[in-house]
Amino acid sequence: MTANSNRKISFDDLVACASCDWLHYREIINRGARASCERCGHELYTRKPFSVDRTLAASLAGIVFLVLSLSLPFLALTRGGISSSISVLDAVSALWNGDMRWLGVLSLALIAVLPSLRLGLLAWVMMRLRYRMGVKPSMHVALRWAEWIEPWAMAEIFMVGVVVSLVKISALASLSVGPAFWALLGLIITTSLISVFYCKDSVWQLLTRHSA
Amino acid sequence: MAAADQTLGITAQQAGLARCNYCGALHRLPATEPCRLCGAKVRSRKRDSLQRTWAFLLVGLMAYVPANVLPIMKTTSFSGNTSDTIFSGVIALAQSGSVFVAIVVFVASVVIPVAKFVIIAGLALSLHFQWAMSEHTRHILHTITEFIGRWSMIDVFVVAVLAALIQLGAILTIEPGAGINAFALSVVFTMFSATSLDPRLIWDGAKSGQ
Repeated sequence: MTANSNRKISFDDLVACASCDWLHYREIINRGARASCERCGHELYTRKPFSVDRTLAASLAGIVFLVLSLSLPFLALTRGGISSSISVLDAVSALWNGDMRWLGVLSLALIAVLPSLRLGLLAWVMMRLRYRMGVKPSMHVALRWAEWIEPWAMAEIFMVGVVVSLVKISALASLSVGPAFWALLGLIITTSLISVFYCKDSVWQLLTRHSA
Repeated sequence: MAAADQTLGITAQQAGLARCNYCGALHRLPATEPCRLCGAKVRSRKRDSLQRTWAFLLVGLMAYVPANVLPIMKTTSFSGNTSDTIFSGVIALAQSGSVFVAIVVFVASVVIPVAKFVIIAGLALSLHFQWAMSEHTRHILHTITEFIGRWSMIDVFVVAVLAALIQLGAILTIEPGAGINAFALSVVFTMFSATSLDPRLIWDGAKSGQ
């Protein structure tokens, strides 16, 4: 710390940009404001209001939608008196049975396992923070995992895939969407709400303060 | 949106610090211990960033060839057997009148993967050879690659849904083809490639703060 040797600086006073490593002094920003990197413009930290409460609410709602979307049928087809309806798990097992074992496992992970894991971990961490149940080291690991998983949770992409399939076979048979279709839509909405409410920096700060 | 107006005018690395990639906590270099806050391994820059980027990109590129040549879907009906590749699926959609959906599938399965190969390779080459390209342009390109890659999985899910739904015995049956395997592999490895590319390398060669 060359220029400021007269000033005592602790790690907590500084923040480095995740995208370009540029070092800034941490400043107190207004509620709802966002600090961005002076050099590259990437977000440094935010102060979103009621982040823990809202993220907790959205992840719990997400878990409900996810359970519904996995267990109920999302598409039903009728053609010439034969009808069939499928759930998300049927789509996965179609790949497994079609001699595409690893692709079935991958799809199961992307559509079901990773989204559930992410929502579950987030809800658990937020619940413990919200109700002041004490900070455990495992919460840091849980949050780390939840953030790492984010790009790999693809429920919303699956939803687009369902819509494309609907269009593709609408000429062949009459189709109707089932309850899981709407649950998937709910899941997409709650997932985007989580990214609106979740204030990464504040949550990590909370975890630091209580564990120190 | 106000930018933090106080900076030190140097990077964390130049100040002898490393930022934890997960929780953002700062550590003194050389960071030999795991992050004191979240327990992750602390690295100032991602390990072997360019080598890993190239390795994953090449696997993704190699898998993209069979993904387009082999059929992704086999349809059996009393009028005969047909098989669809990624491209013929797009054409069939467009011919059936669903132009908008055809465009969505074309973008997800062709435009995004190809754009990603080109952008990642371009970024990696520009870092290798120190091309004169503005840091801001490269920063935007990098953000794009991280954001768009996952949407290529649409076609995989379409095949899964159709194969599960269209099981009407001799009347009409759809089975997944080997091409979709290769396509999913290509998407996954290109995603790994994008996350291996450390955006901080783009700025490490930059001269001034602005």
